[in-house]
Amino acid sequence: MAAADQIRRAIAVVNAAADGAGDEDITPTEIAEAIRDCLELAETSAMPKVRKYLGEALDATSDGMPADFVAMTLYAALGALQEGRSLH
Amino acid sequence: MRSAEGRGRTLDEAVDAALIELGETRRNVDVKVVSENANETIVEVSVIDPAVAEAAGSMPQANGKAETVRSLLEGLLKHMGVRAQVQVRPGSDPITLDITGRDLGALIGWRGETLRALQSVTNVMVGKHLDEGERVIVDVERYRQRREHTVREIALRAARQVKMTGDAITLDAMQAFERRAIHLALESDPDVSSSSIGEEPDRRVVVGPRKPAE
Repeated sequence: MAAADQIRRAIAVVNAAADGAGDEDITPTEIAEAIRDCLELAETSAMPKVRKYLGEALDATSDGMPADFVAMTLYAALGALQEGRSLH
Repeated sequence: MRSAEGRGRTLDEAVDAALIELGETRRNVDVKVVSENANETIVEVSVIDPAVAEAAGSMPQANGKAETVRSLLEGLLKHMGVRAQVQVRPGSDPITLDITGRDLGALIGWRGETLRALQSVTNVMVGKHLDEGERVIVDVERYRQRREHTVREIALRAARQVKMTGDAITLDAMQAFERRAIHLALESDPDVSSSSIGEEPDRRVVVGPRKPAE
């Protein structure tokens, strides 16, 4: 899966936790897994800024920060990814 | 209450047709999707009663929290260079902020992605003014409300089909607030039930016959 898709997937998981559709319980572990999946991609490993935001999102999740904060950090990672691509 | 029916190829066209007939702006109306298919969308647009709107419109002043949140979002939009008005939706719980203005498509983004991001940023900004667990909803040109109407209509159509055929129907992948709108629309239906399958962002609602034990 491409990095942008993987980050969007993580954002969707976080947003689902925040919005609460009532059809599943999303645990912080699942959110952390989705973010770790992003960190493991070769594309993100070459982009320090993206990794920085993903790391912050992971820390925020384990610190129990609100889902909106985690989502905002992931949006920043997505923005940094697109910025990084346009520079290459 | 004044209302008009609008028809068009898209939801926006149908709403615009009704607004022209009513001589109103989107800010002053409620939109209900009557039917929707590949060729035509029909909506019923009702003008919000001015007396009710005025009475409810005084609520933001009375509710200091809503007003604080509103002005913070307005400030954010100003910093972004977006010229738009922000209003607290009357009687909304949770607090819902309606953004209106010209050419706000960019604020909605692909499948509402930018709008969702804006809501996250807004909630982070205003978090300290809210109670624990309390969140605000951000809507642009009533996009979110219209999406909820649309998916509710899709749910009811799927329910009718399930009752006719007895077969379950899997709907397109949807966001959490859209799935919730479907679950709520069908929860009181004695003949059908809804559940979700798959993983984000491809999580889909399945509408099927309600089993006797349910």
